Amino acid sequence: MAWEKSVEEIRRRREWAAAQGGARNVARQHDAGRLTVRERIVGLVDDNSFQEVGGLTGAVIYENGVAVDATPAPYVCGLANIDGRPVAVGGEDFTVRGGTTASLDKRKGGQGGFSEDLAYEYKIPLVNLIDGAGGSVTSSKRRGHAVFPGIDSFDRSVELLAEVPVVSAVLGSAAGGPAGRAILSHWSVMVEKTSQVFAAGPPVVHRSLGQEITKEDLGGVPVAVGAAGTIDNAAPDEATCFAMIRRYLSYMPQNVHELPPRHTTGDAADRIEEKLLNIVPEERRRPYNMRQIIELIFDQGSAFEIQPDYGKALITSLARLDGHVVGVVANNPMVYGGAMDVGESNKQCHFIELCDTFHIPLIFLVDVPGFMVGEQAERAGVLRAGMRAVYVASQASVPVVTVVIRKCYGMAGMATCHQAGLNLRLAWPSAEWGSLPVEGGVAVAYRREIEQAADPKAREAELEAELREYGSPFRTAEAFGVEDIIDPRETRAYLCRFINAAQGRLKTDQGLKPRAGVRP
Amino acid sequence: MAREEVESEVTGTVWKIETKVGDKVAEGDVLMIIESMKMEIPVLATDDGTIAEFQVEEAEPVAEGQVVVVLDT
Repeated sequence: MAWEKSVEEIRRRREWAAAQGGARNVARQHDAGRLTVRERIVGLVDDNSFQEVGGLTGAVIYENGVAVDATPAPYVCGLANIDGRPVAVGGEDFTVRGGTTASLDKRKGGQGGFSEDLAYEYKIPLVNLIDGAGGSVTSSKRRGHAVFPGIDSFDRSVELLAEVPVVSAVLGSAAGGPAGRAILSHWSVMVEKTSQVFAAGPPVVHRSLGQEITKEDLGGVPVAVGAAGTIDNAAPDEATCFAMIRRYLSYMPQNVHELPPRHTTGDAADRIEEKLLNIVPEERRRPYNMRQIIELIFDQGSAFEIQPDYGKALITSLARLDGHVVGVVANNPMVYGGAMDVGESNKQCHFIELCDTFHIPLIFLVDVPGFMVGEQAERAGVLRAGMRAVYVASQASVPVVTVVIRKCYGMAGMATCHQAGLNLRLAWPSAEWGSLPVEGGVAVAYRREIEQAADPKAREAELEAELREYGSPFRTAEAFGVEDIIDPRETRAYLCRFINAAQGRLKTDQGLKPRAGVRP
Repeated sequence: MAREEVESEVTGTVWKIETKVGDKVAEGDVLMIIESMKMEIPVLATDDGTIAEFQVEEAEPVAEGQVVVVLDT
C-alpha cells in the first residue's frame, strides 16, 4: 500500500480538472448555447474511448506544501476512438480564462503541441475543437518582452496536412492563432449562430477602420461559410457538428500511407437507374438538378457535400461507388449555368488536392460552359483562378473518370479531365463540347462574312446551325476524341466497374504526394 | 405566419413570371425564371406557402442575393 496516498492525489487532481473553469464559467458557457470542451469530446468520440493526456496540468494552489485546489490549463487533449479507429483530439477550454494559451513547459495542442505531435508520430487523424481567442498582449508583461510571431509555430500544422486527415471545428469566436489553425485543415466546420471566425474581431476592426460591426456580421456562418468559403461546412448545432466530423472521417484513411476504408451498403454495383434518362432537358437553355444525378449514380445516401454554400456553381462531394470512396466534382447548371468563377475554382483546387493526397479517385460530372465572363469576374481574377484549377487537375495522379453530362467548353473543360493520364471520358448523349460555344463563337470567327451578308442575322443563324451539326458527340466518338458515349442509365455500372478495377493500382500509390512547381 | 424572403441565386434578367400573388406553392416549386449566362435559371420556393409579393417585374435586372419574391409561410 506504499503509493496509496499519491494515487489518491491523482484522483483528487483529476476531479479539479473535471471541474474546468468552475461552475459559474461552465454555466456561462452553457447559457451562450455552447458545450464545454469535455462535453464536446464526449459528444464526438466513441463511448468511453477518451484517454486524456495532461489532465494534471494547471495552476495549483498550495497551502503548507499541500495542493488544495487548482485551475486547470485551458486546453484538453488526448487519444480517442472514432468508429473504432484512433484519433488525436484536443480543444481549448473556454471556461478557463477564455481558452487563452497556458504557460506550460510544452504546449498541449492547438498550434503545435502534444495533440499535433501525437497525430503526426502515430499517423492518426487529428480533430481540433477550437474555442479560443489566441494570444493576449498580457503575455508580454508576464514574460518581460514581446514575443516574435511564430513562437508557437504553424510548422507542425503544415506538416500534418501532407500526412494525416486534419479536421477543425470552430465552436466559439475564433480570432488570431485559433482562427488560423482552423484554416490549416483538410476540412473545417462551424456552428450556426454560436461560432464566428475572423482574422481580427470587432474591437480591433473598430480601432483600425472605425467600423462598427457585430461578431456575427464579421465572421458568422453567412460570411465565413457562404461569402468567403473560409470554413467549409456549417452545422445547425454542436451535436450535428460532431456527427458531421465522424461522417467526414469515415471517408478518410488513417493516413496517406493507406487507402480509405471500403464500406458497402448493399447498393448493387450494376444498378440500372431509369430516372437518369430523363433528367437532362432536351431544351438546351433549361438547367436541371445535378445533386439528384449524384444521388442516383453513387451508393445510396453516400454523398457528403463539402463546401455546399460557397462557389455554388460547382458541387464537391465525397461519395462511394460499390463501397469505394470517390471524390465527385460536378458543375451545377442552376447557378450561372455552371460557369467557373473564382470561388468555384478555389473550391475545386482544394477538393482535388484533398482527394489526390488521400488516394481518392475523382469522378467529374461535367456541365461547364467555361470560365465566368464579365467585368466582375475579371476584376476578381477569374482567369488566374481558373487556370489554377487546370494546373491542379493536371498535377493530380489519382485515377480520374470524366462523365460529360452536357456542356464541356474551353479551358474550364480542361480542368475536368486528366489529360496527362488515361483520360477516360464518357459522354451522355446530351453532351456537347468545343473550344468555345457556337453562340458568340460564330459572331467572332465569321465577323466579316456576317457583316457583308444581305441578311447578317440570318447568315449568323445559318453558320451556327452548320457548326452545331459538327457538335454531335457521336462525331467525336467516331474519332476516339471521347472514349465512349453511354446510356445515362448505365452510368453507375460503368463507373463501378472502373473504380473496382483501379483498386490494385491505388495500392501502389500509397504514401506522400509531393507536388513540385508553382501554382498560378 | 412568417415571411420568407426568396433570393435569386444569380445575377441576370427576369425572364418570365408564371405565378401570381396569392398562389399556393410547395417547397421546390418554380416561382419565376431568371435568364443568366444564356440559361433559364428557375427561382425555387424555399418553403411551402403563399406568394405574398413580387419585388421584381419581367425584364428587370436582378443581382445575386437580391430578394425577388416574398412568401407567407
